[in-house]
Amino acid sequence: MKKSKLNLMTVFIAAALMVFISCGTKEAEKVEVATTATEAKTYKLALSLAITGPTSDAGNPYAKGVEDYFKFVNEMNILGEDKIECTIRDDQYKNDVTKRNFEEFIAEGLDFYLNYSTGSTLALKKDFEEEKMPTIPASFHAGNLIESNYIFLPIASYSAQAIGLAEYVVNNHSGSTPKVAMFIHPSAFGRGPVSDVEKAIAAGLDMELIEVVEHGKDLDNTAMLQRLLNKGVQYVISQTVQSPVATMLKDASRLDLVAKTFGENGKITFLGCHYTGGNDLIALAGPAAENFFWTTSYIITSEPGVGTDAQLALAKRYGRDDKAAQSHNYANGVMVAQVATECILRAKARGKAVNKESLYQELLEMNGINAFYPVTTVGPVTYSATDKAGVDTLQLYAVKNGAFKSVGTPFIPIYTGKI
Amino acid sequence: MTYFFQLVVSGIVVGSIYALSALGFVLIYKSSKVLNIAHGQIIAVGAFITYALTVWMGIPIFLSLILSMGATFFLAMSVERIFLRRLIGEPIISVIMVTIGLMSILDGLVYLTPFGTENFSFPVFLPSTPIDLGGVYISWTQLMGVIITIVMISGFSWFFKKSTVGISMRAVSDDQLASMSIGISVPKVFGLAWATAGLSAAAAGTIIGNITGLNFDTLHAFGIVVFPVVILGGLDSILGAVVAGVIMGLIQQFAAGYLDGNWGLNGTAEVLPYIILLIILLIKPHGLFGIHEIERV
Amino acid sequence: MATNRWLATGNYHISYQDEQKIFSTHLDRSIFIVFLSALFIWPLFFEVSNKFMLVIDNIMIAVVAIIGLNIVTGFAGLISIGHAAFVGVGAYTLASFSRVLGDSNMLLTHAWPLMIVLSGLMGAVFGAIVGLPAMRLKHLYLAIATLSFQMIFQWTINFMDFFDQGQTISIGRVHWLTGEVARKDHYVFWYYIILVFIVLCGFMVRNLLRTRYGRCLSAVRDNDRAADAMGMHPGFTKVYAFGLAGFFAGIAGALHAYLYRGVGIESFTLHESITYLAMAIVGGLGTLHGSFWGPAAIKVLDLQVEILAEKAAHFLPASMNLATALRPFTFGLVIVLFLMFEPRGIANWWRIVKSYTKLWPFRY
Repeated sequence: MKKSKLNLMTVFIAAALMVFISCGTKEAEKVEVATTATEAKTYKLALSLAITGPTSDAGNPYAKGVEDYFKFVNEMNILGEDKIECTIRDDQYKNDVTKRNFEEFIAEGLDFYLNYSTGSTLALKKDFEEEKMPTIPASFHAGNLIESNYIFLPIASYSAQAIGLAEYVVNNHSGSTPKVAMFIHPSAFGRGPVSDVEKAIAAGLDMELIEVVEHGKDLDNTAMLQRLLNKGVQYVISQTVQSPVATMLKDASRLDLVAKTFGENGKITFLGCHYTGGNDLIALAGPAAENFFWTTSYIITSEPGVGTDAQLALAKRYGRDDKAAQSHNYANGVMVAQVATECILRAKARGKAVNKESLYQELLEMNGINAFYPVTTVGPVTYSATDKAGVDTLQLYAVKNGAFKSVGTPFIPIYTGKI
Repeated sequence: MTYFFQLVVSGIVVGSIYALSALGFVLIYKSSKVLNIAHGQIIAVGAFITYALTVWMGIPIFLSLILSMGATFFLAMSVERIFLRRLIGEPIISVIMVTIGLMSILDGLVYLTPFGTENFSFPVFLPSTPIDLGGVYISWTQLMGVIITIVMISGFSWFFKKSTVGISMRAVSDDQLASMSIGISVPKVFGLAWATAGLSAAAAGTIIGNITGLNFDTLHAFGIVVFPVVILGGLDSILGAVVAGVIMGLIQQFAAGYLDGNWGLNGTAEVLPYIILLIILLIKPHGLFGIHEIERV
Repeated sequence: MATNRWLATGNYHISYQDEQKIFSTHLDRSIFIVFLSALFIWPLFFEVSNKFMLVIDNIMIAVVAIIGLNIVTGFAGLISIGHAAFVGVGAYTLASFSRVLGDSNMLLTHAWPLMIVLSGLMGAVFGAIVGLPAMRLKHLYLAIATLSFQMIFQWTINFMDFFDQGQTISIGRVHWLTGEVARKDHYVFWYYIILVFIVLCGFMVRNLLRTRYGRCLSAVRDNDRAADAMGMHPGFTKVYAFGLAGFFAGIAGALHAYLYRGVGIESFTLHESITYLAMAIVGGLGTLHGSFWGPAAIKVLDLQVEILAEKAAHFLPASMNLATALRPFTFGLVIVLFLMFEPRGIANWWRIVKSYTKLWPFRY
């Protein structure tokens, strides 16, 4: 018995040693590569996001989008001889792991950082400041920008999206002041826009916010929906992920509460921000998703165009399945990678050394005539010292016959400027 | 008043799903005194198998439900054979931790499939217009869920009351030594208990999947959500699981219906079960129908 | 005392005091001192990256927490599935100061040793309160009670505006004799602080186990009725075990808050509680040095799997999620394998090595 345990231990220790040695050699190789290839530069980017764990259904296509676009850049020699090396790490939606990843990226030299969740962006805000690291998170939380100079949102913040939806409600509602409820994720990510919508109302937006519902893992939203209906709520603006919205929509359609047309009297019209919609919602809610209004800044594949063709071609080139290719989060990842690449290109074109300072400068100057037009969004990416949200333009989509179709033309919310 | 009855109906629907989820839990605990924390994962796997059979293979949903129940039957049985059999007689913490380890392993295996990170939805096979009971609505899917739950639970009750195997399982849960001495193979019974739990898990998973859509996180969370239910009902009582499931469903619906949105409260339906759980543990730890065998210190 | 004070081939205790010694031979003591000083000195000689130091700090914080968990689950035999919540109580003690006074108040940045101890005490209070059901409950039921504390804790933080509903609450940089601890020194600085706390906690527990209060714990674990008959109070003992566990957890929480310079609910979830339990088991329940092995093994494994997964991802088709599957899979597998083949944990290997070297070159 004892003998066998000893053997077991030696095996274990040997294995551990081997792993360590292999890691050691890996480090050594890297150094060599760096010294031999002096002419062609490698720019180090990094992305830490939730490929597993909560919100992984969004993180997964996002990671694929980023990975594919950088591969494409390298293979097409878009940066000439230079290459982009983007390390993608899974942090399982845990801030501690994100922090560890970030420290590692920093230690290995980092020129531009892509982050993911609201929680980790807020948790690492001070680190970004201290490191002066330009960062684009996948979270569009307006709170990310408070007391921060280095965080850039890819598109309009959740707050702007929610306000945009609210404005749409106000403009298209017939009758007296519309009564609105918000259905939100029980976290910073969900709660962020609530206070901003309230501010917009205080600033003169003519609507009444009746209730803010934080959802749990509910199997049945009947109680909530009935309550809202009794209070006269006609619109529900959701800021959460797809799965709870799907459950709510299914319950609503079961109760026959879903408005057939926008603002139908005695029924509820459901609207949602970026992460509530997309093909995943249709996959989850099925026919109950019909007439769900959704806003985002991305062009989606059910409205084909040049941008979506490019997106699908990219996904096809790297063998992605249909689901990932069609996902608006894939477009999201591609767009963020495009912005990073564009910054590098511009810095190179100006003959500047590509590093975090110059890339930060490029981001700040990305406005006016310098605005960047990626193909996957409905408007240009504009950043400046005061405007840290990229694509300010939003597009409203609604589900018609099982696919999101555009409603109206792209718009920019007015009240975001007034609060 | 319609509001009240709507809450009651919803509570019963949610409660019966809880009951079905809790059933598997209770079956395992009753015979082998193992708290199976990985039950949520088995529920999820069951749902995924049903989906894969229905959508990818094109088998009618009821047939694939039965096939999936068969699959989880063998899955759970082999889990017991491989992992739990060796641990008979080990301290409770080892047994709990093994099921936790199992949970992680199953997580890992599910991540190998598309189900790990992506969302799916069952095809609609029931009429989508709800049944209107005088202003109170219930969907066909929910009704089907309740019916399946009732069928499963009455089936199990019959099985334990009348069939020889069922009676031997009850004997083992009553007294292992005595049942061994009359020739019942205790390990076999343990295996069978797990297998039947797997059976019920697949059914529960399929029903939940039909209601919420297939999302791995949502589905496996049911492994934890049913804790308050099984404690309220008593860990070793099937009747308890049913009654407590319905009670818990009603409590949650009433909390969501009357507490949320008032007095600044929100999400009470999430935490209330655990508060009730703590109270029950303090005043009546064996639950409503459990056997009094708690030792007071 | 004719025995060799440097080397012993067996236990030749001739008095109770002899048996109670922390170090049975001079050699043991010397090795310990050399090892400890090595731990203090090595960062001065090696240039280590922040990431590496962060990983080490993280392991060491887990060590502090596991020392606590080992008291309640290992020594007293009470299963706690809510340990991360106790760690959270410690961290949120700091967070509430930060919310009330601002994140760089003197109290937080200058009087931090005091704050850490205070957080520990807060943890102890909550531990004792949660331990109250232990007066009536045993085994499984107790485990579920701690689980429900975990859930209630998460809900409370998540819904209270005061705690910013679980968003990260920042904590300022601390000051040391030389002024503010800068970013590049941050992790090394906290390495030393955590090390000091580990040494203190380690000695505290080691000494506790030599007193009647410590022996009380294992007596109650092994047979509470017998312990009762021998004049110990099992109910009280259990509550105090929980209190003590809460104390260490609270300290770990405060250290975590300072190290990460912020407190967010994500670090104190049910999954963390389960990870803590796994660490305790892999390390070896009911042993002090198991508390060191466990966190190290689990965290290093996690990192290695991550590296492996990254390598594997280059060779596999892009549509396959092997890399993401590997982490939970190996984590679960390690727990299960340990429970099935080495339920006494790595500490047992250590014991075998020790007894082997003690007798070497003889067989017995």
